[in-house]
Order: sequence, then structure tokens, then C-alpha cells
Amino acid sequence: MARPDKRDLLGACIWAGATLAAVAVSDSMLLRTILGVPMVLLISGHIVLRAIGVRTTSLSEHLAYSIGASLAVTVAGGFVLNAIGSLTSLGWAFWYLAVATAAMLRPAGNDAVASKPAWLGPLQIRPWQGAAVALAMLVATGAYALAIHDQAAERQFKYTEFWMLPPASSDPGQLVIGVRSAETQAQQYDLDITLDGKPFAVFRSLTIAPGDTWVRKIPVPILTTKQLAEARLYRPADNKLYRRVSALVPGT
Amino acid sequence: MTRVHSNADIAVIPVRSWLQSCLAVIGPDLRGSSADATPEPANPGWIATLCLVVAMGLLLIVAGHGAGRRGDAVAPLLFWSGVVLAVVPTSLRIAWPNVARSERLFVLILLAEALLYLKTVYSPTGFAHHDEFLHWASAEDLATGHRLFLSNPLLPIASAYPALEIVTTAIVKLTGLSIFAAASILLAVLKGTLMAALFLFYERITGSARIAALACLTYMGCSTFVVFESGFSYESLGFVLCMLILAVEAASKDLVGREKSAALGLIALLLASLAVTHHLTAAFVAIYLGMLAALEALRRDVSLRLEARIAMGLTAVLAITLPLLWVMASGSSFTGYVGPVIETGFKTLMGKIFGTGIPPSEHLGAPSQPLGMRLTTLLAILLLSLGLATGFFRSLAMTAPPYLHAGWLPIHGILKRRWRDSRVVLLTVLACGFPISIAFRLTVNGWQIGNRMGTFVFIGVGLVVAVGIIHFWQGRASRGWRLIGPCAALAVIVLGGVTAASLEPIRGPYKVASDSQSIEHMGIETARWTKEWLGPGNRFTGDRVNRLLLAGYGRQDVRTKISEGIFAARAFRHDKLGSDELYALARSDLDYLVVDLRLTTAPPVLGFYFEPWESEQGTRLTAAELLKFNDVKGVTRTYDNGYLIIYNVRGLHGAP
Repeated sequence: MARPDKRDLLGACIWAGATLAAVAVSDSMLLRTILGVPMVLLISGHIVLRAIGVRTTSLSEHLAYSIGASLAVTVAGGFVLNAIGSLTSLGWAFWYLAVATAAMLRPAGNDAVASKPAWLGPLQIRPWQGAAVALAMLVATGAYALAIHDQAAERQFKYTEFWMLPPASSDPGQLVIGVRSAETQAQQYDLDITLDGKPFAVFRSLTIAPGDTWVRKIPVPILTTKQLAEARLYRPADNKLYRRVSALVPGT
Repeated sequence: MTRVHSNADIAVIPVRSWLQSCLAVIGPDLRGSSADATPEPANPGWIATLCLVVAMGLLLIVAGHGAGRRGDAVAPLLFWSGVVLAVVPTSLRIAWPNVARSERLFVLILLAEALLYLKTVYSPTGFAHHDEFLHWASAEDLATGHRLFLSNPLLPIASAYPALEIVTTAIVKLTGLSIFAAASILLAVLKGTLMAALFLFYERITGSARIAALACLTYMGCSTFVVFESGFSYESLGFVLCMLILAVEAASKDLVGREKSAALGLIALLLASLAVTHHLTAAFVAIYLGMLAALEALRRDVSLRLEARIAMGLTAVLAITLPLLWVMASGSSFTGYVGPVIETGFKTLMGKIFGTGIPPSEHLGAPSQPLGMRLTTLLAILLLSLGLATGFFRSLAMTAPPYLHAGWLPIHGILKRRWRDSRVVLLTVLACGFPISIAFRLTVNGWQIGNRMGTFVFIGVGLVVAVGIIHFWQGRASRGWRLIGPCAALAVIVLGGVTAASLEPIRGPYKVASDSQSIEHMGIETARWTKEWLGPGNRFTGDRVNRLLLAGYGRQDVRTKISEGIFAARAFRHDKLGSDELYALARSDLDYLVVDLRLTTAPPVLGFYFEPWESEQGTRLTAAELLKFNDVKGVTRTYDNGYLIIYNVRGLHGAP
């Protein structure tokens, strides 16, 4: 009796090992994606189908079942890794290596996975057909890039963000005031700050370009009682109150 | 007497002939040939051409979205031209006779992926749909917290069904991709797998690749296919697992011995995964497999071996017990989550039918779509109904014993519990849910039930319509209108799936309380500001859309309630903050409220600002209601961009 062919399982083990190595030492997203995505969504399921001896009659069926089994392996991995507190990158890489190794070391049984070629069969592809498919992929990718560009260019609302944060416990006595512009052109602002209704600080003719942020830390006296700090942003161009914010300064 | 008799006969003859014509239309005769005359291989010329045509369609769709963003009037023309270009040629090729099996499957997957692309380019760099934000927040929690079952106040039940987040974060952790990128890859793989599983399932139970392809095409006409089942949401993963379970179960029907055990092992694995993925889908699979086992027990033609019957019973027991065990183990309140939705939906439907009490929200009316979209949806429903009427008895006849083939004998045989495959009987009966789901969709409160039902009912609808087309509409010698008509009808059905999928499929300017159409740059930037300047994890509440943005982009701890039993809407309504609301706010642990003044500029598209069940639906919010917090002692105004204001309410609980 011929020994069952385990080359695919060996390949899966090597792939899982390479994924582990990439996760451990590489920051390359491309390399990790090339190794990691097939591991999560296909290879781990193929290993399981081989391990339990599921018979498939076509490549499409084998691919569909492999993806389903991969999802099951990954969900199971999530619970196992959660139980041992290892839901991390390395934890996942070790999980897939463990699954692949266990399938590889499993005693030989009825591992027969029939793979009758029934996907596209013996296709005779002509150059224009290959070129048309390549062009189609290029058009679809280009269209996606265009969609991203359109989204990035969309600015329905023009606005200026204005904020005031109360003193943080790590930095008592400091109010934080900020202005960020999302207007279409640079704007000039005047900024008044009051403390319990009394003038406290003034900033005149702040010019802020679109996309720029102006932030200041304003020291405030700490009294025994709480004080209300208020800030008003004026637009000198049309001489009107544009934004207003407030914060409580805690007492001692 | 004789004269009277002959008059009666004259009156009866036309009625009888009309009745016979009707019976001939719906009758169970199987006229067509389901076999594919053309063997492998596929035609690469057609495949290449269709790839190019679909790509051009996608380019037009993107151009349509771009024009919509700019407010150009040409947007609908560009968008719908693209949809027609992507859908019609592929649908015609899939439905055409004498096409190789592999080519049909390839083009089916191509069309399914094109429809996913259509949904994705609506928002190409981030999530856009309500449920996607809920699962995004859970996935972020899992990725950063490295723990399962963290609470999700926006969707409490989701923490008990973490499979989608587990698979997504596994990809994120191994690859370093963002959650959106990982989710996009996962959804593309799931869509292809769903098509393959559906095709394999239909092919296995009908023995015909052509019927399988037509059934899959019909399935794409389901209102949930294009958007709802393509979103980053647990049902997208759950439904793929469901179809894989059904496909493996159908494929294993003739297996014996070790092969049968292996298939059972795979089904058990998939069932266990489904139990922790999605409650409703797990319930459907439990009902399906339970009823399948019951039908097998009822069947009188006992051709099935005892071993196969035991396997079927075992599968049913697993399908029923695993989700129940998980509900008990996780402590999730499935009935508390689903129960009120079903109760309100049924009450509304019964109220409409019998003219009894209808909930007030029902009088608000459903949001409307452009006329062309509504007409396409109606035409698709009409065509589906015709397919169901002509396919129902034929579908049953297909599984009747071969010795019962004349006239209505196959149906008599089925009624006497004689059939060959219980799956076909069950799916044919399941298709009867289609008119019920449509009835629910016609109500505001029952819409959700009708929509969710559609996902499962269409498994049966696909089979019945495909059988109707093959055995009635096309018949033995399909040429001329008999050839083109049904193929074109299927293309319209798929287009109906696109038009029924969402209110506004074309990206446009901001709209008030319209979920995906309300998500735009300024709201996203405000949510990002909270993360940058306030840090993540602050307790926020606000309107429905800003809550989503704060949970997703802002990583804030977003609440729908101020405190137990008091929903956020109460704090935002009325010009003055009532003492009850002020007391609730003071007693709560909320840090911030977000107020969106754009809500006052138009009525809410979906009919509500905060929750579907808010009490003051139909009443527009005013600026005075939203700005009343300016005058509340202890409340400060932390952020203001002219449209969105963030109020700090910590002062109400004594903190700064």
C-alpha cells in the first residue's frame, strides 16, 4: 500500500513557520500579508480537511470547504488563545504552526483528498484574453483609487474647531486652548478669555491657515473655589462672535 | 331540465378551460432539460470580455459616486449605467443554456465580487454602515485589549458572538493591516465562498449546474445580498458558515463509513463556529436541520440507509444543542434582543391586516426612494412571484418518485409522504416565506423582520424560481423569447436586489439622520479630535450617527442610555432640561454629550435621531433644545466647530 502523500502538509508547516518568522522579525506589511492572509483563510482549513479526511470532488468544493474550515480553526484559536492570555501577533502565529504541526505528525489514515480538476479546466488562453483580464484588473484598481481620491477631496462643510480643556490632574493650573482651521483659506481671529466673567487673556490677529492648529497652555490661578473659564473666538472680518467654549477650573 | 343542464354546461366550459390553463401554468409537469449540453472547458473569450465589461461598469459606478459627492445631476445616470453594465451581461451569460459549469461558477463569483465592490466604493477608506461601526468598535477592543467578551454598549449581544472579530483580528495581528483593510479582505473572501457554497448546495440537491447557477442568480435578488450581507457584521460571516454547513450536509448524503464520519466532523466544526458567530443564523440552521430530520422520519419511501438517518438526526441534535449551550454558557439574552423586534413587527402586520391598533411610529411612513428604483424593485418582485407560481409544484415534482410522473400524481405522491430528497421539499416550502417577508417589508416596524427573513427565505426562492425557469419558461426547446425572456428577467431580479438594498445607493451630500449618508469628513474629524485631545475611553452620548463615529474613529465609550431605563433622547428633547433628566445626568457616569446642530436643519431621513423606538418621532429637533446645555450650571462647552458642540457634564457629578 502506498504511503499517503504529505507534501502539502509539510508545505503548510513551512508556510506556518515562515509566517511565525515574519511576525517575529519583520515589519514589512506586504510580506506579512502575503504569508498571513492565506494562512488564516485557506491553509489552516486545508490542513484540517486533510487531518479529518474530508473527501471533496472538485477544486471549487475543496477551496470552499478549506475556507470554511479555516474560519473554524481561527475561531477555535481565538478561544484557546484567550484562555491562555495570548491573543497577540505571536500567539496567533504559534497557533497556526501548532495546528500545522499536529496535522503533519498525525498518524497516517485515509487522507485521500480527491481533487478532480473542475475549476476552469484546460483553458487555452489567447494573448488578447490575458490582456483583457489584466486591463480589467487595472481599470477596477484605478477606479478604486479614483473613489479614494473623490472621498479625500470631498469637503462639504468648512469650519473652524475651537476648544478649551480644563487643567489636567498631571498639569494643574494650565488651561489648554486650541484652534484648528478646516476653512478654504487663511482666516484671522481674535481670542478673549475670561475667568469668572473677568477679562483674563487676549490674543489678537491670530492668522490660521487651512489645516493648521494653534494651541496654547494658559496658566490660571488656583483658588479655593471652582472658577468658570470662558473663551470667545471672534472673526474681525465680519466683526462677530464665531465660536465659544468654556471649562471649569477646580478649586484646591 | 335538459335545457337547464345545457346552459350550465355552457357556463362551466369557459371556467373549466380557464382553470385548466391556470393549472397548466402552475402544474407540476417537468418540460425542460436541466442538463448542460456543453462540457468543460469554459470559454476564455467570454470570461475575458465579461471581466472587462464588469470593470468598465465599476468605473462608471465610481464616477457616479464621485458626481454624487459633487452634487452633479449626472450622478444617477453614471451610477445606474455602471450597475446595468456590471449586472446584465454577466446575468445573461450565467443564465444562458450550454455554458460550462466552471464558467458559470466563475462568472457568478465575478458578479458577486462586483456587487461587493459596488458596496465598498460607497466609502472606500472606512466603514459606512451602522452595524459595521458596532463590530469595528468590538474588533478594536479585541485588538487592543487582547481579551474576548469585552462589553459593547452599542450592541451588548455582540460580545457573546465574537467570531467575526476573532477572524478579523487574527488577520490584523498576523499582517499588521488596519481593521478596515483586514475586514475588506475577509469580506471579499466570504463573498466568493458564499457563492461557491450556494452553487455547490443547489447543484448537489438538483443534480444540475444550470439550475444551481440560476438559483444563485435569483438569490442575488435578495434585498440583503448587496449591502446587509456584505457588511462588516456578524451575519455576513454567519451566513457563509450556514451555507457551507448546508452544502457539506447535502454533499454527504450519499457517503458511507469513514467518509461520512469525516463530513460529520466538518459539519460539527462549522456548527460550533456558527454557534459563536450569529444567533439568528444559528437558529435558522437548527430549524433547517431539525425539520430535515423530521421530514426524513416522515418519509415513506425509505431508500435512505439507517446509518444516513442516524447521521441526519445527529446533525440536527448538534445544530440545536450547540447554540443553546452557547447561549447558556455566555449568558447572552437572545430572546431579550430579538423578542421585542418580532413582537412589534407582528403586532404591526396584524394591525394592518385586521385594522386594529398600529404603533404610532407606523404612521410616520417609510423613507422614500426615487421612482425608478421603486419600479425596478416592484418589477423584480413581480418576476419573482411569477417564478414562484410556476416553479412551486414543479420543484416538488422534481423530487417525487420517478414512477409518479403523470399529471398531478407527483404532488399526490408528495402529499402521501413519498419523495426522494427532503431538502428539496423543505426548500420549496421555505420559499412560501417570500410573500410573508414582503408583507413585513411594507410596514415600518416589521421591515426589519422582513429584511432578515429574506436572507433565509431566498435560499428556497432561488431553487423554486430556477426550476420554474428551466421547466416552464424555457422548456425543452428554448429559443427566441423563451430563451432571452427568462435570462433578462433574472437580470432584472438581480437589479432589484441592488435597488432594494439601500435607500440611497449613490453617495451624496450630508443628510440628517440617514446613517451612511450622514457620515462625512467633519463628523469623522470631530470624533478623531476627541481621541487626540480627550484620550480614548471617555463616556459619551449623543445622536445615533455621532455615537457611531465616536465609537469607531474616536475610540470613546459610547452609551445609548444616560442611566438605566433612560435613553439619551430624553436629555436632548425640550427647550429646558427637566429635573428628572438633570437628576439622571447628575447621577450618571457620563463625561460628555455631543450635540449636532445639523440635526435641526431637516427632518430625519430614517424618521428618528437617536433610537428607532424614541418616543417623539416625527417631531423635529430645534436649536433651542440642543443648545439648552449652555445654561445648565455645571455643564461646560469643551469643543465647538459651529456645527458640532461637545459639552462636559462632569461638573454635574462634582468633577471638572
